[in-house]
Amino acid sequence: MIFLHPLALIGLAAAAIPALLHLFQRRQPPEADFPALRYLSEAERRSARRMRLRHLLLLLLRTGLIVAVILAAARPLVPSRSSGATHPPSALVIVLDNSLSSGAVVGGQVTLERLKTAARAVLRRAAPDDRLWLVLADGIVRGGAQGELEAAVDSAPADPRRLDLVSAVNRAVRVAAAAPAPVREVHVISDLQRTALASGRVTVPPGVRILALGPRPTPANRGIAAARVAGGGGGGSGAVSVTVVGTAGASPVPVTLRLRGRDLARGLAAPGATVTLPLADPGPGWWVGEVTLEPDELRSDDRRLVVWHSVPPARVRADPAAGPFAAAALAVLQAAHRVSDGAEVTFADRPGAGASVVIPPADPALIGQVNRALQARGTGWHFGGAGSPGPIASTTLAGLDGARVTRRQRLEGVDSGLVLATVNGEPWAVASGGVVLVGSRFDTTWTTLPTTPAFVPLVDALVNHFSRGESPVTEQEGDSRVTFARVGPDTVGATVYGPDPRESDLTPADPAVVRSALGAELVRDVDFGAAAFAGLRRADLSGVLLLIALLLALGELAAATLAR
Amino acid sequence: MTATERLDLLDPAEVARLGGIEIVAQGIVEGYLAGLHRSPFRGFSVEFTEHRAYQPGDELRYLDWRMLARSDRLFVKQFEEETNLRAMILLDASRSMAWRGAPERLTKHEYAQRLAAALGLILLRQRDATGLITFDEAVRDVVPARVKTGQWRRLVQGIVTATAGHGSAAEAALRHVTSLLTRRGLVVLLSDLLLDRELALTALRYLRHRGHQVVVLHVMDRGERELSGPPEVRFRDPETNDRLVVRPRELARAYRLTVEREIAAWRAACRRHGIAYHDVTTDQPFGHVLRRLA
Repeated sequence: MIFLHPLALIGLAAAAIPALLHLFQRRQPPEADFPALRYLSEAERRSARRMRLRHLLLLLLRTGLIVAVILAAARPLVPSRSSGATHPPSALVIVLDNSLSSGAVVGGQVTLERLKTAARAVLRRAAPDDRLWLVLADGIVRGGAQGELEAAVDSAPADPRRLDLVSAVNRAVRVAAAAPAPVREVHVISDLQRTALASGRVTVPPGVRILALGPRPTPANRGIAAARVAGGGGGGSGAVSVTVVGTAGASPVPVTLRLRGRDLARGLAAPGATVTLPLADPGPGWWVGEVTLEPDELRSDDRRLVVWHSVPPARVRADPAAGPFAAAALAVLQAAHRVSDGAEVTFADRPGAGASVVIPPADPALIGQVNRALQARGTGWHFGGAGSPGPIASTTLAGLDGARVTRRQRLEGVDSGLVLATVNGEPWAVASGGVVLVGSRFDTTWTTLPTTPAFVPLVDALVNHFSRGESPVTEQEGDSRVTFARVGPDTVGATVYGPDPRESDLTPADPAVVRSALGAELVRDVDFGAAAFAGLRRADLSGVLLLIALLLALGELAAATLAR
Repeated sequence: MTATERLDLLDPAEVARLGGIEIVAQGIVEGYLAGLHRSPFRGFSVEFTEHRAYQPGDELRYLDWRMLARSDRLFVKQFEEETNLRAMILLDASRSMAWRGAPERLTKHEYAQRLAAALGLILLRQRDATGLITFDEAVRDVVPARVKTGQWRRLVQGIVTATAGHGSAAEAALRHVTSLLTRRGLVVLLSDLLLDRELALTALRYLRHRGHQVVVLHVMDRGERELSGPPEVRFRDPETNDRLVVRPRELARAYRLTVEREIAAWRAACRRHGIAYHDVTTDQPFGHVLRRLA
């Protein structure tokens, strides 16, 4: 408790006046004859205890009255959580998690509306001297006045992006800590998904207080994590593999594949499972299909687009120098009508006249010759010296991760060709100008890849897509849509946008995890607004004290008159 | 004398200003008797002895209707014992009686003097032998009970000369009565009863035991019934000189309850022993008190 006018407290000495008067007042009362003194003595004896209590009560009431009035004059301020209380200038950063999961309907209310209500409750309590910032799911720290931020909160939609809460709060904490204000707070207004708290811990500097809206139970949810076409490169039929994510243990949900508004296939999958839906080849060209789930509490993750390029089977000529494994793979593809004999694509240890898949020659002495042929083709990449063994890594070609390379030639490039896979961080497979260079021969003495299931699909992708200058279909986080990459009149690639699969698991983090990861105090919805600025918010008690003084005065009046 | 001029119904202080005790008492008695249909006191015997002329206040039932029919004159029948009733008035003349709560009121003693005089006159008019004992801490004056001419003046003389003494000791006076009243009679005690209740009751019980009819008139000032005064006052007992500082407004309720308790205790004790008890305040008209005695 602090006092606005502490000097007034000197007046507290006056509280002793009633007691001093009681103790030292020695008035000489007038004397009068009264024959019935025996009755008086008897009455006094009978009521002595009651009168002593009454005198004590009057003494207390009068002393209390003086104390209350003097304290009221000193204007005491006490910590308070009420909305009417004032607080010192504060720096407040609000992290409003309007990520995809905030669009879920929980208990009949959209989670984002609940979060906005809490954010508004905090902003309403802000004073003109406060410095305010708002962090949304886009990660941008917006500063502004109370009205501006309230407008930003009101207009914030459920963003398709994921918010990494730990990094967002870390950013907010740094902003708050840098502000020259006596009170610095970060308010985390989020559904507190456990998946949003998986990236470490917030470092809370001294003087910064973090409040988090307490988590609420959420319903089971299912969403589509991925939908990819496998084997749809050309010729015969393929399939779409759909991975479903969401609340662990949730029941399976129907999955539907649509193309041009027509249902092509249906399946059933539970969170964590992948279902493969058959896809009949609709003919050459780029196709955009749609995979949907039955609607649930979070609609945004129930639909995902899938893109594929249906091309005629490549006509491939496999040079004997490509090795037996490549020849066997091409034979398999030919049997599946994915490739045919011809000279459109050459699979050899040197580039052909057209599209080529080039592997290092078995004799290192021939590498120079191959490099000169590549240079003659205008390819910006060539084979370099021997590289170190290591595992293959690729974000473009599925299934390669884990395969090991024991022998390779480094690939050295001079242009920005498409790197399809790497070993030890160095390019291992590169597509450039109709030529695909691979750093190892498809032989078990060079790599374990020919013995893995990913080998045939790799050869398929190399001859049907990448050797033809096509880019892979990539996936990005964002609104569900597809963008195509073009080179001249040709479409050479596509990007499919969809939500981050981690948003589909609505399960809130355990409160202990929240406290540990964010260093935050958890506050219930109803208390959240009041908890803001609570560290130093103070209420003026003068009014209460004056009311108490009034009550004491009334009590004194009653005790002094009614008892007579 | 009309009803509106009856002294017995006027304010005692106003009545007292009309003259001396003798005159006032006669006025009171005249007014009182004019309003009565029968005498308040009568003898115990029923044996006829003689006639006497009717006097106002005589009970009509003792009127000799035959004599009235024959002679057209009013006579009442006298009985053997009626003339032998002996009444003794005990008047408390202690210092506590010389007190009044307000200047416009009579002191308890003045009030009791006039009441005793009126009572004596009534009794004498009934030809009852009436006497007087005044007392404070001791018996001060004794007027033996007589019915002869001049007794009234002696009674008044005894009443007037009874000035305020010191403390109250009624039991001594009451015991003295027993030596004066050899036959059963009437004893009227006028006192503020600021005395030892047990001792007084012992004496009163003894009188009752001897067959006397006993009447106690508890005379109080209105200021003794309801405590009032300045915010703080030091009260002094005029008899004992004891002092007590009180705040009358604080103690008023407890005091009133104490007085009521005291009166109730007196009343209950008297009733228990067959003693008539009446509490009287000095602002009550004398006629009201006399009527309560009837």
